[in-house]
Amino acid sequence: MAPIGKVKKESINWKEIKKQRVLLLLSAGYVLYGFIFCYLPLAGWLMAFENYKPKEGFFHSEFIGLGKFRQLFLDDGFIKVIRNTLAMGVINLVTTMVTAIVFAILLNEVKSQGGKKVVQTISYLPHFLSWIIVTGILHDALSGTGIVNDLLVRFHLLKEPLNFFAYPKYFWWIVAFANVWKETGWNAIIYLASITAIDTSLYEAAAIDGAGRWARIKYITLPGIKPTIIILLLMNAGNVLNAGFEVQYLLGNGLVQSVSQTIDIYVLKWGISQGDYSLGTAAGIFKSVVSIAIILIANEMAKRAGEERLF
Amino acid sequence: MRRKQFTALLVIGTMILGTLSGCSKGTAANGNSSKEDGGIKEFTAFFAVPGNEINDDNEIQQHIAEITGARVKETWLTGQTAEEAVGTLIAGGEYPDFICGSDGTSQLYDAGALVPLDDYIDDYPNIKNFFTKLEWDQLRQDDGHIYWIPQFNNSYGKEMATTHNDEAFWIQTRVLKWAGYPKITTMDEYFDLIERYQEANPTMEDGTKNIPYTILCDDWRYFCLENAPLFLDGYANDGSCIVDPETKKVIDYNTTPTAKRYFQKLNEEFKKGIVDPESFTQIYDEYIAKLSTGRVLGMIDQWWDFYGNVNDALKQQGLEDQGCNYVPLPITIDKGVKNRWHTSGDTLNVGSGLSITVSCKDVRGALKFVDDLLSEEVITLRNWGEKDVDYLVDQDGLFYRTPEIRMKVSNTAYKASHLCPYSYFPIWTGMSQDGINAAKPELQPNEFLDSLPKNVQECLQAYGCKTYVDMVGQNEIPGPWYPIYTFVGTMTTATPGGTAWIKMRELKHEYLPKVVMAPDFEAGWEEYLSAYETCNPQAFLDEVQPEVDRRIKIAEEAAAK
Repeated sequence: MAPIGKVKKESINWKEIKKQRVLLLLSAGYVLYGFIFCYLPLAGWLMAFENYKPKEGFFHSEFIGLGKFRQLFLDDGFIKVIRNTLAMGVINLVTTMVTAIVFAILLNEVKSQGGKKVVQTISYLPHFLSWIIVTGILHDALSGTGIVNDLLVRFHLLKEPLNFFAYPKYFWWIVAFANVWKETGWNAIIYLASITAIDTSLYEAAAIDGAGRWARIKYITLPGIKPTIIILLLMNAGNVLNAGFEVQYLLGNGLVQSVSQTIDIYVLKWGISQGDYSLGTAAGIFKSVVSIAIILIANEMAKRAGEERLF
Repeated sequence: MRRKQFTALLVIGTMILGTLSGCSKGTAANGNSSKEDGGIKEFTAFFAVPGNEINDDNEIQQHIAEITGARVKETWLTGQTAEEAVGTLIAGGEYPDFICGSDGTSQLYDAGALVPLDDYIDDYPNIKNFFTKLEWDQLRQDDGHIYWIPQFNNSYGKEMATTHNDEAFWIQTRVLKWAGYPKITTMDEYFDLIERYQEANPTMEDGTKNIPYTILCDDWRYFCLENAPLFLDGYANDGSCIVDPETKKVIDYNTTPTAKRYFQKLNEEFKKGIVDPESFTQIYDEYIAKLSTGRVLGMIDQWWDFYGNVNDALKQQGLEDQGCNYVPLPITIDKGVKNRWHTSGDTLNVGSGLSITVSCKDVRGALKFVDDLLSEEVITLRNWGEKDVDYLVDQDGLFYRTPEIRMKVSNTAYKASHLCPYSYFPIWTGMSQDGINAAKPELQPNEFLDSLPKNVQECLQAYGCKTYVDMVGQNEIPGPWYPIYTFVGTMTTATPGGTAWIKMRELKHEYLPKVVMAPDFEAGWEEYLSAYETCNPQAFLDEVQPEVDRRIKIAEEAAAK
């Protein structure tokens, strides 16, 4: 929330530190954790600038500057995986957010407390399944003899079963569907929480003024959760390039590989499988840099629009 | 106040210390090695191939541990390719004691992860005698050392070939029986037979629909789709390309006229609904499940890729009586082309084998275990199981099994709790060292015949064959370069040829299924050809040719000596 009035800027002195020592001690663990697991490994970025060979190690591998980055951007395959990653990232972001918000609002309108709880519990259960199980179910359901084809054929929507995984045009949407199915219930929790935070007297007042359900959603609920939506959108925008690894890796096959492979799969394929750790690291760096850039841009846009923002 | 602060610091300090020491303990345990456990050494092993893990309290494993004083916890590849698994290990820098890198072996060597074995081998007679001096020399890498021991295809005494452990067009015996066991030698005849059978018998006895022909195309197993043109032209399995035995020249099989005819045939059969529409999207597990139901009439595959799970499942479900077992057929592209699906003799795969890693703290102990595993007593335990439990001995000392035992040893739960083949450690095949028995039950002539499912016995008899191998016939190894895939497996992206090879594989994986599914075959084939050229296959062939020449030269020099 934007600060109200002016806050006197205090210089931090020993007395202050002493007063907050418990908090400081508590946070020390997290700082240490972040340092060890998030910052120390960054030293490994050095690998992207040398022709890294495990045998020669970090300090004796040949230094080649930006050679690996050049190789990366001259490879059609890499350009393709950037496209796939961005496309799937954006599709996933939009679909999962919209469904979660709609679901949260619908759930909020349910009057029966018991029914609401049951629906909520059931809907977020898939979140706890691992991707290997979800993709297994999906593979089964969408196969030629699976339930989806069965239904489509019985309702005469299709003449013959359609092998969904054989056509590149369906792949991104299958991934989006998988994400929506798995995460909608879970993502809705945070919106539900922020809806409950809206002052109920607003609803009462609106009802007295003659606002119907639809009008109350439109003029009270949605504006009420707007800050939450913006913040989550900003945070997720930084994750667009993390469009996934397991789903695409597990659902992909030779026929759809040109649309299914993401940057993470590319890193695995060339960095790990083919042992070109430098190339893999370079691709990873590229991904991180672009992600940071996306967050900064999105944050700036939010700032200009006078909305809630991350920093 | 002070004291409280101090206590808090102390608590946090110990917590951090605890975490750190936990880490270091973890690494020590990972890179582990022989930790003594009641006098029995424990080793770890990772094999970059799919396999079935056995129970920790496995009975024969315990028995072997009592004899050898060591036990190995084996883990296998799950849901990854060999290269991925090996690459991950290298990135982590910690290895199990034993490793078989499979397709990732050259990466392990490049990373300096393996222990040179040549200084030790002389001290272990069973290991030393496992290969001849010439064979050991063939295993030396470019630095002159030996890093791995190939485990398979090494016959003690004489070769006992009964199963065709290789690739073939397989067909269910019920199809052949229905047609009166006709002579089928060409691809067209094969598909014609399947079509006619399918028309007459669209379902199994219980009403389940047949799948006339399926193609496994999952990851590295897409050889079931792509390398048939090599065999159809009558060449032996050099794997990644043809090596012409006459001219000793490397030929690309991906674009030959035969390749075009083969894919055109698949394309036609796909449109007719003979080729399983799920072929190119099924994963290996789904494929094995399909085969296990007995619905699939025919496919191309390697015997080792399917027989274990599938044959046991067919036996357990009583589907043998319906004629659901597979036999190989000697198929070529045209009549008059001699098939070479089966080559006899031991083919030494110099490209991979069992290695000991630099993380192993007790190299001698590990080698002693391998040495002990090659003793007669332990080999019998590994291959046959416990005497009087898993096999019986008749008055002439011949081992045999009863139908009840056969049923028992094909049970998955029993295999996990009782049998312990240590299957990726070096193992003799052929004869047993007692000079009477074959090394393995399936190689023992009487046991092989008795254990064959009835429908297979009947079928072999109808064709005048005694074994699976007789169905396709024996062939000599074509030349000293054979098989050249052991070299191709070691190529990496460091060379243009290796890069081309990886691109070719990836491209074929996408385009060949498209070709088969193409509404207009000619257009699809043209598209494939032009895309294929962009991979620069010539660079690949140019790097394989010198290796063929080199191997021929080594053999000539050895012969001259």
